Amino acid sequence: MTASLLQAPRLHRTVLANGLTVLVLENPVADIVSARMFIRVGSASEASHQAGLVSFLMGLLTKGTAALSSMAIAETVESVGASLGTDAAADYSVISLKTVSADFPEIFALAATLLRQPSFPTEEIELERKLTLQQIRSMQEQPFTLAFNQLRQDMYGEHPYARPGIGTEATVGAITQPDLVDFHRQHMRPDSVVITIVGRITPAAALAQVEQALGDWQVPDASSPPALVFPAVLTTPTCSMAAQETNQAIVMVGYPAASVKHPAYAALKLINTYLGNGLSSRLFVELREKRGLAYDVSAFYPTRLGPSQFVAYIGTAPENTATALEGLRFEVERLQETVLSDEELQSAKNKLLGQYALGKQTNAQIAQLLGWYEILGLGVEYDQGFQDMVAAVTVLDAEAVAQEFFHKPYISLLGPEEAVGPVAAAHA
Amino acid sequence: MNSVDFPASVIRLENGLTLIHQEIAATPVVVADVWVRAGAITEPAEWAGMAHFLEHMIFKGTDQLPPGIFDYAIETHGGMTNAATSHDYAHFFITIAADMLPQTLPYLADLLLHAAIPADEFSRERQVVLEEIRQAQDDPDWLGYQAMSEAVYQDHPYGRPVLGTAEILQRRSPEEMRCFHQAHYQPDKMTVVIAGGIALEPTVAMVKHAFRGFASPPPCPAAAVAPVPTLPGVRREILHLPRLEQSRLTMAWLGPGIDQLETAYGLDLLAAILAEGRTSRLVRELREDRQLVQDIGAGFSMQRECSLFTIQAWLDGGDIDRVEAIVCDRISELAAKPISDAEMARAKRLLCNDYAFSTEAPGQLAGLYGYYGTIAAADRCLAYVPTLQQYKEADLRNLAAQYLTPLRYVSTILRPA
Repeated sequence: MTASLLQAPRLHRTVLANGLTVLVLENPVADIVSARMFIRVGSASEASHQAGLVSFLMGLLTKGTAALSSMAIAETVESVGASLGTDAAADYSVISLKTVSADFPEIFALAATLLRQPSFPTEEIELERKLTLQQIRSMQEQPFTLAFNQLRQDMYGEHPYARPGIGTEATVGAITQPDLVDFHRQHMRPDSVVITIVGRITPAAALAQVEQALGDWQVPDASSPPALVFPAVLTTPTCSMAAQETNQAIVMVGYPAASVKHPAYAALKLINTYLGNGLSSRLFVELREKRGLAYDVSAFYPTRLGPSQFVAYIGTAPENTATALEGLRFEVERLQETVLSDEELQSAKNKLLGQYALGKQTNAQIAQLLGWYEILGLGVEYDQGFQDMVAAVTVLDAEAVAQEFFHKPYISLLGPEEAVGPVAAAHA
Repeated sequence: MNSVDFPASVIRLENGLTLIHQEIAATPVVVADVWVRAGAITEPAEWAGMAHFLEHMIFKGTDQLPPGIFDYAIETHGGMTNAATSHDYAHFFITIAADMLPQTLPYLADLLLHAAIPADEFSRERQVVLEEIRQAQDDPDWLGYQAMSEAVYQDHPYGRPVLGTAEILQRRSPEEMRCFHQAHYQPDKMTVVIAGGIALEPTVAMVKHAFRGFASPPPCPAAAVAPVPTLPGVRREILHLPRLEQSRLTMAWLGPGIDQLETAYGLDLLAAILAEGRTSRLVRELREDRQLVQDIGAGFSMQRECSLFTIQAWLDGGDIDRVEAIVCDRISELAAKPISDAEMARAKRLLCNDYAFSTEAPGQLAGLYGYYGTIAAADRCLAYVPTLQQYKEADLRNLAAQYLTPLRYVSTILRPA
């Protein structure tokens, strides 16, 4: 099962004359076709005064083109029971669609038009702005989101990864139609797009549809797409707290971590699995099963083109804040001195690789994974490469990586003042 | 009712256990999903929360299997396991490479049949459940849902939170839980679904061998019995919550039980016509055109004894009364004015495709069969698409008139404190 699902000759990769990359995988099992249109631009490409622009722009793609109103677009999609959505991530953006196979040509052609020719109607901009501003305010209702936003801001400072993808009330309030038009013209171009199509469709038919819809899309000029330059991260570890009268305190620790292209990436993913993934993970067993401190305790290490972060968190009764913080730090930082046993390492590998394979069950999951590797510049062969790298990690590699990354963490606390205040003061 | 051939095998074992199996040749994955008719509805009122707490304790091992060994075995073999509890059921599932099933299924069966519920683990795990309750209480949508359920279902067990309350859980004992477990985790209340890359014959042998030796059921306090509720009129409740940034309005109507599945599917269509997608009636009018709501959705939730139809809006506190009045108007219109062919076609297509999209992976399929097998019969899910297709607009209007009246509903409102 750990073998690559994506091996040749089933996978067809084509680059059109205009630089657009197409990946097709025929899977006739179900009468479903899933497709993704990835664009090599994400929230990290925004200027700080335009935070939220990419997310806002992606939301507006389905709200109007030169020929179609927002309602006409929705009508086309909903009348055939298809799904069509957009999303903006830190390092890329994506349009996702899923149809029964007979409806694919019509909905794919529509999605291509949305990508190429959005009109950003002013009344739709205002509605989207109103909805987005309320969504930003509603984040205050979610303790986990608040604590994470605080941690991210502390860890990244001026780096764009510091900001929530949705932006702030000030920046979203200031977005104009020309901002959207300019950004679209500059960044949405065929040589920055990867399209993946997976499902009951032949490679020839899929490619013909892409050619027809997007083959004549011209690169705007002879220049290359704008290169992405990240500012350096210049922060130092801090402890921040948000006083909220919640029933639970949220405790998070964050350690600056490696980008996807760093040699430590696979070892950190493996450590993340060991510590935070599943019912047999170290954090779950030590802090939940043995000590009853939490319902939710876990870790995550996002895959990023730029400097990533390794985060462990727990939700606990407010009076347990100090104990939980100590427990999280102990479990992460002990890996600097404690070498994993061969059995622990092998278990973590089996778990990570097994779940990786289970993540490729549906056409949509496969379309997402393939296109994601391609858009990050890793190539589809990374599907196998990643598995090989994980398999090759040794216990000494894991220890070396822990020693490199798990120093003093950034700490984010949220909860009632009288419970989290003293803990924050002790770590100030 | 039209029906297609059911692609799965349904086998009743000698001990009364139901096995549902479907081989999916193209996948290397297999899902084992065990459904038990032992949800919160089987609890006596003073034991509220027991079914869900037991779901946690199932993972705490047996005399043969110390706590944590099961999780470790599944995950070390590259699989995943989890569980969930609702009013009508508890279910436990593993997703794993097909060739690992023979080694891991016996563990799951041992846990389900012979949970030891050790006293020290009971006390510790109770802390975990109390944390789960605290986390839920920080979620305004959970609080709103509970308030609405209580108002709709009144004394019926569907009105109680599946999680129970801290006060009740503090008073429970491991002995009581063992009694509840042995009384309800019996073969006649259990459905084992196996879907994926494994043939029928080895599956039957494996399940027969693993799921045997059930304890004989002890006497156990009976479930709270309450009549299926009716709503006498409009019931309105306003909750003021701290830390709330946006108000919510939930309007709820009672629907039929599982004995009227065709009606239930019709209510699904009405929910889609009202508020699924940008071109649906309420989303279009209230969010896109009049901009009175941040979002609005409708949902139909099937339950064994008595289902629920809800319309929920996220909106500014000042617009609540107006939006509630408009929704009542639109509900009345639904019954009074013909529904266009385009709306009928759109709603049918959306739901039929959703059904196709939600049966793509073995885990989805196993969940569907297990759910239907537990609250009705597994093959009843096959009637879904043909039943939807047969609906005429006049049928839907009759359903709207019968179930969705502006004269009898519950309205639960959340406002910032």
